[in-house]
Amino acid sequence: MLKIDRLTKRRGSALILSDVSFEARRGRVTGFLGPNGAGKSSTLRILLGLDHPTSGTALVDGVRFAALRDPLAKVGAVLDGSGAHRSRTGRAHLNWVAAAGGIPRRRVDEVLELVELSGAARKRVGGYSLGMGRRLALAAALLGDPEALVLDEPINGLDPEGIRWIRTFLRERAAAGHTVLLSSHLMGELSETVDDVVIINRGRVVAQGTLAEITGARRNLEDAFFALTSGSGR
Amino acid sequence: MRAVRALSAYRGELSKLASLPSVWAACLVGVVVPAGVAIINARSTSVDAGFQELAFGVVGVIVLGVVAASSEYFVDGEDNGRQITTSLTVVPSRTRFLLAKIAAVTTVATALAVVAAVITLLLIGQAAGLSRMFGAVVYWVLTALLAFGMTLLTRNGIIPLALLILNTSVVTVTFLLAKITTLAVYFPDMAGIRMFITEVDLPVRLSPVAGGAVMAAWVVALLVAGFATFRRRDA
Repeated sequence: MLKIDRLTKRRGSALILSDVSFEARRGRVTGFLGPNGAGKSSTLRILLGLDHPTSGTALVDGVRFAALRDPLAKVGAVLDGSGAHRSRTGRAHLNWVAAAGGIPRRRVDEVLELVELSGAARKRVGGYSLGMGRRLALAAALLGDPEALVLDEPINGLDPEGIRWIRTFLRERAAAGHTVLLSSHLMGELSETVDDVVIINRGRVVAQGTLAEITGARRNLEDAFFALTSGSGR
Repeated sequence: MRAVRALSAYRGELSKLASLPSVWAACLVGVVVPAGVAIINARSTSVDAGFQELAFGVVGVIVLGVVAASSEYFVDGEDNGRQITTSLTVVPSRTRFLLAKIAAVTTVATALAVVAAVITLLLIGQAAGLSRMFGAVVYWVLTALLAFGMTLLTRNGIIPLALLILNTSVVTVTFLLAKITTLAVYFPDMAGIRMFITEVDLPVRLSPVAGGAVMAAWVVALLVAGFATFRRRDA
C-alpha cells in the first residue's frame, strides 16, 4: 500500500538517501530499522509530502500523499514529538485537526479515550510528558481511522507499559487488515511486533524481507542488524 | 468536493487561531491600545482624532499575523516536533493550506479592526465618514498579512515582531527615512496610513486609494515570495 521507489535525497553536498526502495503491505507491520541518522525520518517525511525528494517517488495506493483526496482516512502519521503547539490544550489540538480534516467533533473524544489521554485533555501540551505528547500525536493520527499508520520512532519516550500498549495496538491494527509502517533504532524492542523488516544504513537499504528471512541463522533481529550495519558500513 | 476541503482547511485555521492564548492577547492589545490612547487624548480636536490612535493600535494585528505563521515552526525542546508537520499531513496541499491561513488571518484581523475602530471612534466622538473607517480596517488587515508574509519567510517570529512593533511604537524608522529620501513614502506603512489619516507630514502626496494600492502591492509581493519559498522548501 505504501510504496517507496528509488528515492534519492541530497541536502547540499550530503547524500541523505540513495536509491531507497521498499513496500509496506496491508495486514502487516513493517519495521523500518536503522541507526540514528541512517535516513529513516527523511524517507518517512518524503512519503508524507513534507520533504521533497531529489529523485524517486513515494506513493500511497499509487498516489502521491500531497494529491490524496482524504489524507486522514488514508494515512495517519506520527512524527517526532507531539506535533502540537505547547500553549494549546490537547483537546484544542485535536479539535483543529478534526476541523481541518472535516472529521466530526465526537471523534475527538473517541481517540482521546483510545490513547488513554481523556484525563489530560484540558491540560496544555507544554505540561505533557514525552510519552503523553506521543500519545497525543497518535490520537491525532487516528482521527480519520486511517488505512495506514506511519510512525517515526513510536516507542521513544514511552515507559515499558506504554511500549507494551503500542505493540499490542499496532498488532491489532495489522490484524484488522491495516498497514503499519514504523521506524526505529531499537531492534530488541521490535522483534515481536514486526512482520517485515527493512534495514537502512547511511542512506541505503542494506536488507529487506520477512522477519524470519532477515534474522536467518542468527540468534535474533538485533544480532542480524549489527551484523548487517557494522563493519561493512562505509 | 474541492470547496468542502477548502472550507475544512479554513475552519481548521480559525480553530488554531482561536485556541492560541497569544492570539487572544493580540486581540486584547488591538482593542485596548487605541481605546486607551483615545481616552488620554479625549480633548484632541485634530481631524485625525481617533484615527491616529488606530494607526498605533495596529500592534495587535502585527502579533496576530506573526503568530499565525511562527506558531507552525515553534520548537519546544529538542524532542518536540513542529506543528507544521501535523498541519501538512492534515492539509497536504500547500496552496490550500496557505490560502486557508491567509483567509483565517484576514477574518480575525477584520473583526478585530472593526471592533477597535468603532470603540475608538465612539470614545473620541469622531464623526468621520465610513470610508475613512473602512480605510483604517483595510490598513489593519494589510498589516496583519504583511506580518504573516514576513514571518512565513523567516519561519521565526522574533525578527518580524521586533521590526514591525518598534517601527509602529518606539521609533518610526520608515517615517524618519522619509525625511531623507522621498522614496520612503512608498514603504507599506507610510503609504497605507493615507487611507485614513489626512494630516501627514510627508514630502509626497498620495490619495487614500493610491496609498492603499501601494501597501497592497507590498503585501501581494511578500505573500507571493512567501508562497514560492514555502512550496519549494522542505517543511
